[in-house]
Amino acid sequence: MLRMFRSEWLKIRRSVMWLLIAVSPLIALAFGLFGFKQEGSFPWIEALSLLSALHAMLFLPLLTGIYAALLCRYEHAGGGWKMMLALPVSRTQVYFVKFAVLMLLLAATQLLLLAALLAVGWANGISSPVPWRTIFASLGGGWIACLPLAALQLFASVAFQSFAAPLAVNVICTLPNMLVVNSARVGPYYPWAQPMLAMLPREDYGFGAFNLSLETLTIVVLGSFCVFFAAGWTYFAKRSV
Amino acid sequence: MANPTWILETRELTKRLGGKPVVNEVNLAIGRGEIYGFLGPNGAGKTTTIRMLLGLAKPTKGSVHIFGHDIRKERIQILRKVGSLVEYPSYYGHLSATENLEAVRRLLGVPKSRIGEVLSIVRLTKEADRAVKGYSLGMKQRLGIATALLGSPELLVLDEPTNGLDPAGIQEIRELIKSLPGSHGVTILISSHLLSEVEQMATRVGIIAKGSLIYQDGIQMLRERAKSRIRFGVSDPEAAWRLLLSHGYQADWDRRQLSVDRTDDRTVAAIVAQLVRQDHQVYRVEEETASLERIFLEMTGTEGSL
Repeated sequence: MLRMFRSEWLKIRRSVMWLLIAVSPLIALAFGLFGFKQEGSFPWIEALSLLSALHAMLFLPLLTGIYAALLCRYEHAGGGWKMMLALPVSRTQVYFVKFAVLMLLLAATQLLLLAALLAVGWANGISSPVPWRTIFASLGGGWIACLPLAALQLFASVAFQSFAAPLAVNVICTLPNMLVVNSARVGPYYPWAQPMLAMLPREDYGFGAFNLSLETLTIVVLGSFCVFFAAGWTYFAKRSV
Repeated sequence: MANPTWILETRELTKRLGGKPVVNEVNLAIGRGEIYGFLGPNGAGKTTTIRMLLGLAKPTKGSVHIFGHDIRKERIQILRKVGSLVEYPSYYGHLSATENLEAVRRLLGVPKSRIGEVLSIVRLTKEADRAVKGYSLGMKQRLGIATALLGSPELLVLDEPTNGLDPAGIQEIRELIKSLPGSHGVTILISSHLLSEVEQMATRVGIIAKGSLIYQDGIQMLRERAKSRIRFGVSDPEAAWRLLLSHGYQADWDRRQLSVDRTDDRTVAAIVAQLVRQDHQVYRVEEETASLERIFLEMTGTEGSL
């Protein structure tokens, strides 16, 4: 397993992915530096809301799809799948490692957002102590809420030879997020909206799917993740290359 | 049970796609140390067969045994000792040759020194640090062969390794492949749609056409099938043909010449005598040996030449 990570690392080491990781946190940082005004009694939470709004609604789901597509692109393009699968490796391992790398890239993105948040707080001289618990719940929750979407996008990226097809699906499905979160019925089941539902501080948003308990969301997220991941994994284990 | 004398053996290997058999009950048998030429026109099922050999695709029916083990049950154990190049060379374009080999080396767990060794075998040492996307097709093919050699395999499976190469490149790859069993003790399965390409190096050949294996034996046997004919250059082939027919000789004619199946000297002398007696002018009498290529085309059908 470790040797496969090391092999995968070599392939992504010099890839455009590293630039993409910084895009969303940088935009959030710009939002925070120019748009943040210390008014309420919970400045950190307000800053978090401001920084994570666009990130959770738009960039995080989009990036999930882009990372997944990029991780599969060099395998599709150069015949990497057949080369790798004709080596003494198990397909299950290959799939698990791809998924793990995808989640690690998302984790790196979340950590950069944390850095952006701390920078905004520091620049605005927020004096109250950093509410680490809430912040980690938000960033970690957003990350975990990416699981079903990541599983779905990896499945699509493995299945489609084309780089654009899974991305197009992803963009089309991400755009209605703003509407979907208003619906308590559909919202929690919509993989593209889950990062937003999990990430935005709940105290600030009392509408639609935000009224649902975190427990419900967690069950739905983990449940759908298992289904999507199993589907992609079985497909990959059986497909002809 | 698998026959222990064969390093690779398939039994009734079949792959159906949409109900149509793409590979139909193929029984391959390859012995240790052989260079096995796997021949067939494009679309005959060579690559599909090779994919099944490597466990990349699942057979509809039949079995594959390599080193005496079933590929379905011991795929990873078998693939440790197999190096392959399937259809077109696989590579990561944004990485250099060295990095490409390193990505595979990390999966194989062989010593780092192997990378330098295989690069020098395929003579890519000088270009090793350039991104592979800038390589010529021949260089990519050589990198593909280097990748296949990386794990010091006992069985090397090369699918059309000279596809798309210029004559010099083909010659170079051929020399490289020929040198392998001697210096490295490897068994090689090499597929091609051109008989001439493997003719000089293969010890045994299998010919596949429309999914079925229609020939499998030593290359020598195939040469013996190459029946030769005797050609007569004559002034009036049609009249000469009628004459021979009336004397009971089977012959064919065209605008310039007359030809009969290879026969003994006395018959040839008798035919010449008949022709001369009837005042036909005989310009030349020559023996024509059918090329292997022609036999191959006859066996596989004319699509092979397209």
